[in-house]
Amino acid sequence: MSLDDESPVNSSSSDDFAAFLDAELDSTSDTNPQQEEEKQESDDDDAEDNDDEINAVIERTKRRKISVVDDTEEPNGSTSHIVQTKVTETSVKVDICIHPGFIGGMCIKCGEKTDDDTQSSVAFGYIHKDLRLANDEIARLRDRDLKNLLRHKKLYLVLDLDHTLLNSTRFSDLAQDEGYLLDPNDPMRDALKGSLFKLPFMNMVTKLRPFVHTFLKEASNYFEMYIYTMGERAYALEMANLLDPGRVYFDSKVIAQGDCTQTHQKGLDVVLGQENAVLILDDTEQVWSKHKDNLISMERYHFFASSCKQFGYKSKSLSELRSDESDTDGALATVLKVLKRVHNMFYDSELGENFAGRDARQMLRAVRSEVLKGCKIVFSRVFPTKFQAENHHLWMLAERLGATCSTEVDSSVTHVISTDIGTEKSRWAIQENKFLVEPRWLEAANFLWQRLPEESFPVKDVKVNH
Amino acid sequence: MFFHIVLERNMQLHPRHFGRDLREKLVSKLMKDVEGTCSGRHGFVVAITGIENVGKGLIRDGTGFVTFPVKYQCVVFRPFKGEILEAVVSMVNKMGFFAEAGPVQIFVSNHLIPDDMEFQSGDMPNYTTSDGSVKIQKDSEVRLKIIGTRVDATEIFCIGTIKDDFLGVISDPGTTS
Repeated sequence: MSLDDESPVNSSSSDDFAAFLDAELDSTSDTNPQQEEEKQESDDDDAEDNDDEINAVIERTKRRKISVVDDTEEPNGSTSHIVQTKVTETSVKVDICIHPGFIGGMCIKCGEKTDDDTQSSVAFGYIHKDLRLANDEIARLRDRDLKNLLRHKKLYLVLDLDHTLLNSTRFSDLAQDEGYLLDPNDPMRDALKGSLFKLPFMNMVTKLRPFVHTFLKEASNYFEMYIYTMGERAYALEMANLLDPGRVYFDSKVIAQGDCTQTHQKGLDVVLGQENAVLILDDTEQVWSKHKDNLISMERYHFFASSCKQFGYKSKSLSELRSDESDTDGALATVLKVLKRVHNMFYDSELGENFAGRDARQMLRAVRSEVLKGCKIVFSRVFPTKFQAENHHLWMLAERLGATCSTEVDSSVTHVISTDIGTEKSRWAIQENKFLVEPRWLEAANFLWQRLPEESFPVKDVKVNH
Repeated sequence: MFFHIVLERNMQLHPRHFGRDLREKLVSKLMKDVEGTCSGRHGFVVAITGIENVGKGLIRDGTGFVTFPVKYQCVVFRPFKGEILEAVVSMVNKMGFFAEAGPVQIFVSNHLIPDDMEFQSGDMPNYTTSDGSVKIQKDSEVRLKIIGTRVDATEIFCIGTIKDDFLGVISDPGTTS
């Protein structure tokens, strides 16, 4: 015997009301399929309904006229027929809604219900869980938003969470040397106050990257910011809350894994911003394969030991060493300067007041190509044999940074990048008094946006290590 | 729209409540179970105002629970298409704004906001007329017209418009506070 019969039952005294409600419900929603026969008698009430209702009827009847489909599921066929003859004379001026978007299956412009709202529309779950927008509407919103943005002299900035703005780990993954982080009496507690957060309900500890608060505050003057993470929504919102407790920067602009339109890829298609005005900060290049020109790669922030282990670093983590990235000189401070430069170039008053044709991607490229300007680089024992050198990521990186690359040594070469001191080209470099550096020099230049002193990146003698 | 109607519900009561105050127990359980819930048919049950009749209990085999059919009067709230409502703005974004009228959530898209109002981003996103005289932001009170409703088992969601005569902001938190 079932025990779940604690259900509401219709009482006889409210039958009239119920009948009225039914009529309403059936004309406006599809949740009440039963009691179809009550509709006919209560349709008179509907006749005096508002124009929107009539609009819907017009649409229905128009569609019916075009394709002579026998619409059997039309319940109140007779009455709508009367309405049809009544309104066709006046319906000329009524334009049909193009349904720019849907929220919970209802058109956001005319309120009409539809079942196939998944076609040719993109879900914007981070704004509202049931919101979908048609492509035309997205284009319209972007266009409108860009004008607004240009007027405020801002650009868009898309930020990644993990390893870019912060670092998280589970309680269970904490190493032994990190136990002090949870000890309320540890002297480090005061130093970490405001940047280390315990989240018992998620079993996680989160460490914000040094300088992040200043970074967000400064960047918000120049950028409209989004969070875009491959993490889950609940986690993303919790992190957004830590970064922005006042909900000033990221209100309804937190995009999580579930919002991506492609798996393992981040796309700007769910960002309501024109691509030529977007800059992206992320530590993982691969996920932005379609938007490489917008991307600024960040050096990964590893505070916890588990995070280091995950990416294959053998050395002690920052937490185990009880240290941290530099506050005023760290990766975020560096990148903020770059962001400001790109912004300045975009809104350079010397170029006139018309910002329409400008592209932040070009500005970014220009800034980046100044880093290693004038360097001519030869690689030695960096690429695997038979590998097309021009396609190697270090080669492309060097060119993006403004250096010229070559496969053969000559007198114009300034740098030899090598993994081994014993190669022919390495020996040549020492002989000719050229800079001989390891590949990390190039990566560091990419992260720090400057040509670093070559002496700090000497090529180690491989034989000594073995 | 609010309605005062009579509804009926089968209540199950544990035998430990049987005693002098059985009826009170039944009523308090009914209030706990029903008030604040939503039925697609009648809308939100706002409050129970009285008990009409408690029917004969029926002992269930095996469990000892007793089922009572209870008829009760209650106030229900259900929004209708075309209805004018006053609501409080809960969130503003470039898509439009969300407003709440009690338990009902209403979305007003920027298509249905008068054309002279423009979105302004910032720490307090809002829609403002070009002369700045009218502003819609979080906690503003607006009068709007419902143009579509969707009724689920647990919630009612509406699409609204303020693009019509006599609709729009009725009090601005920025000026009153």
